Amino acid sequence: MIVIAVVLGFYNEFKAEKTVQNLRQAVSIKAVVTREGKSSQIDSKLLVPGDLVSVYVGDLVPADMRIVKLKDLETNEATFTGESFPVEKTAEKLDIQNPTPQQLTNYLFMGSAVVHGTAQGIVVSTGKRTKLGAISGSLTRTHPETEFQKGVKSYGNMLLSLTIVLAVSIFLLDAFVAHKSLVWSLTFSLAVAVGLVPELMPAIVTISLSQGASRMANVKVVVKRLVSIEDFGNMNVLCTDKTGTLTEGKIALKDVYPLGEEKDHKLLTYSMLCNAAVIGDNIVGNPMDVAIWEYAKQVNAQGDVEPYNKVDEVSFDYQRRMMSVIVRKNGEYTLISKGAPESVFNRCKYADVSGRIELITDVQKAINDKFHSLSELGYRILAVAFRNVERKTSYSVEDEKDLTLLGFLIFTDPPKKDAHDAFDKLNDMGVAVKILTGDNELVAQTICEDLKIPIKKVVIGSDLMRMNWNEIKAVVEETTIFARVTPEQKLDIIKALKANKHVVGFLGDGVNDAPALYEADVGISVDTAVDVAKEAADIVLLEKDLLVLANGINEGRKIFGNTMKYILMGTSSNFGNMFSAAAASVFLPFEPMLASQILFMNLLYDISNMTLPTDNVDEEYVKMPKRWDMGFVRKYTLFFGPFSSLYDFLTFGIMLFIFGVAAPYALPGATDAVKLHAQSLFQAGWFVESFWTEVLVMFVIRTRRIPFFTSRPGKWLALLTLSCVAFGTILPFTVLGSFMGFAPLPPEYWLLLVLMVATYLLLVDAGKVFFYKICKY
Amino acid sequence: MPNTDLFTWWALSISFSTIFLTLISMYLFIESKSRRKEGTQKKASVFRIGKSFAFVFVLVGLLVFYIFSIQLGTGVLSESIFVVGNIIVEALLVLYLLRNRETESENT
Repeated sequence: MIVIAVVLGFYNEFKAEKTVQNLRQAVSIKAVVTREGKSSQIDSKLLVPGDLVSVYVGDLVPADMRIVKLKDLETNEATFTGESFPVEKTAEKLDIQNPTPQQLTNYLFMGSAVVHGTAQGIVVSTGKRTKLGAISGSLTRTHPETEFQKGVKSYGNMLLSLTIVLAVSIFLLDAFVAHKSLVWSLTFSLAVAVGLVPELMPAIVTISLSQGASRMANVKVVVKRLVSIEDFGNMNVLCTDKTGTLTEGKIALKDVYPLGEEKDHKLLTYSMLCNAAVIGDNIVGNPMDVAIWEYAKQVNAQGDVEPYNKVDEVSFDYQRRMMSVIVRKNGEYTLISKGAPESVFNRCKYADVSGRIELITDVQKAINDKFHSLSELGYRILAVAFRNVERKTSYSVEDEKDLTLLGFLIFTDPPKKDAHDAFDKLNDMGVAVKILTGDNELVAQTICEDLKIPIKKVVIGSDLMRMNWNEIKAVVEETTIFARVTPEQKLDIIKALKANKHVVGFLGDGVNDAPALYEADVGISVDTAVDVAKEAADIVLLEKDLLVLANGINEGRKIFGNTMKYILMGTSSNFGNMFSAAAASVFLPFEPMLASQILFMNLLYDISNMTLPTDNVDEEYVKMPKRWDMGFVRKYTLFFGPFSSLYDFLTFGIMLFIFGVAAPYALPGATDAVKLHAQSLFQAGWFVESFWTEVLVMFVIRTRRIPFFTSRPGKWLALLTLSCVAFGTILPFTVLGSFMGFAPLPPEYWLLLVLMVATYLLLVDAGKVFFYKICKY
Repeated sequence: MPNTDLFTWWALSISFSTIFLTLISMYLFIESKSRRKEGTQKKASVFRIGKSFAFVFVLVGLLVFYIFSIQLGTGVLSESIFVVGNIIVEALLVLYLLRNRETESENT
């Protein structure tokens, strides 16, 4: 055991170190630094605050920096904030109180990628002091204990106290009240202590977990940390990001909105023409341009551009925030512009309302209303405008004037088709889903509304920042969406939910998710996640899909169910048996069972339980999450333990007074041989009864339904259990039985035993009805 | 009855485990009632309380029966009473379980 503990400890340390190394590798990058007027490329580790650093397209930002100069800069902070769209940066001073990192658009954060433009910035913090470094720091600590581990620990403590109290009492009573020898008293009390301990529990738990892990792999759920499986099944709150779970995780054109009521293909055709995507076998380029072509493919409109010839292009730039193309059709030249609505509006004089050309000032209010209503839904919007132009050799920005506004293009990260079903399924399984996103609240709200997911409350990161711990604990209960949250806030939300006694799962795939993945009772990541997130996770999904998750939860609940069966059964029947052994050892003139017999029965009982992990679990048991409830285990032990004692005492009575075991001890002339035979008969009688009741009661206790009739046990469990019962039954008649000190039992004994055990099992079943009526679990 | 002292010890032990079980049942029942006090608890009638404790009556009845049959000692009479008594109790328990299983399945 010590060796196993050392090996496991080393393995965990090794894994933690590997996680940190992966993170370090991920952030080991080069930087172009300007010192004393000279630029050079150095390792980012050598940067110090105050350095002037330049970044270009494709660079990973080497430190947290305040931007001082930029040109058309856009960064991808998806792994850091969860935001799918590139973030446009500025060098301007911002006036925001308590800004979240997402609001700090004049900052560059270490680990984010430059997708467009260039910038120069002053290093503000490096290494561990950066936002990313803080994440790395949080991963070096030990994995917090799961709910299941805490439960096992408190169960162990309960068992330890029970064992010590019982063993010490037996020793004192036998040695000083019953005046038995000290050696015998010590041996017997130790045997009782061993009998109380469910020695096979680690094996049963490990077998359950590894078999469960293998079944979960079949439903595309890979378990990295076995001990988290139970918590996976028992989690009642799942925190997840939005991107990729509720949404497809890519930008798509949701719809085209011409200004009038009628929809025609002109707006879409012009969007395809005014487009920088490269069309080949695959469509590549700016995500929004790609999305326009993918939409056109879906509605089969790619052919609409064929009559047009592209003549010239006025490229996109960040000052204008728009691009234009000039196309020719039937000898006519048209300039088409597409870009940020505010920029396009400023260059429009007219509006095309269902084919009617009107002055834009006449329809300005309607246009503004439409634009704002769409913006409030969290959509990304582009405007498209056009005008007829004369033929020229080249065109410029000067030509982008007096345009006619045609309409809007609405972009979104579209909701997953099965997300609503998955959400409903998780709700039915008693798992409340909370969305934690770095993205803005409007986008998250719109997605939830699209998916018909009920929203109780929306809280944003800056609100959380102002709350104290008690307020956070209260707000996490009633909130469905947490938007614009930082990695630290995600961690706080998980901690608050855990403090509110929830079993919390967290599903994430970015670097920013790693601390929360570590802190949650169950950290869940996906195969496509960054290495750091996968390392920090306990469970990796081969598909980022909530339905895959639901299947895994079901398996986790089955495993927990079978583990609890062993714990409840073992504790209650062991407690009962050992209690009667203790009492009998005091009032009987001989040993009720030899220490070797107690240990052998214990071994046989444990063997019969080896196939428990393969047992069937009732449907209603896996319907809702369960919790490790020590109060319930204690009540269960106190209630079902005495049943076993009652029937042990009954067996004592039968053996002593019906089969005459007590007689030789009342007769003055009885020889030692006669007494020894009586003693062996008693021990055999109790061994068989005790073993039958201890093992067969499993069929009653394993289900709340009618055993066998409405809930059938697993075939391997039934087979092994009945084989063990058969072995225990014939044992007193064998050489081994005789060697162990058992005498063969008379035929009448078997009749009484069968009836007695049948009454016992029925009584326990009746007790079960009573118990579950008053003790809900 | 040979060895009266041993029989007294035995009777005390089996009675203790039954009384312990009865007390635990009462404790669990009272504890569950106090837990649900704020809920929509119906007014307890003597009949309702008596029905809730049917299980305890079975236990006490079994204890009396076991002590009586064992007290008869060695012999066919003792064994026969034990056999018949057990069969009657089992039949009663089966009836009890069939009747109560319906309500139990509604609750779960």
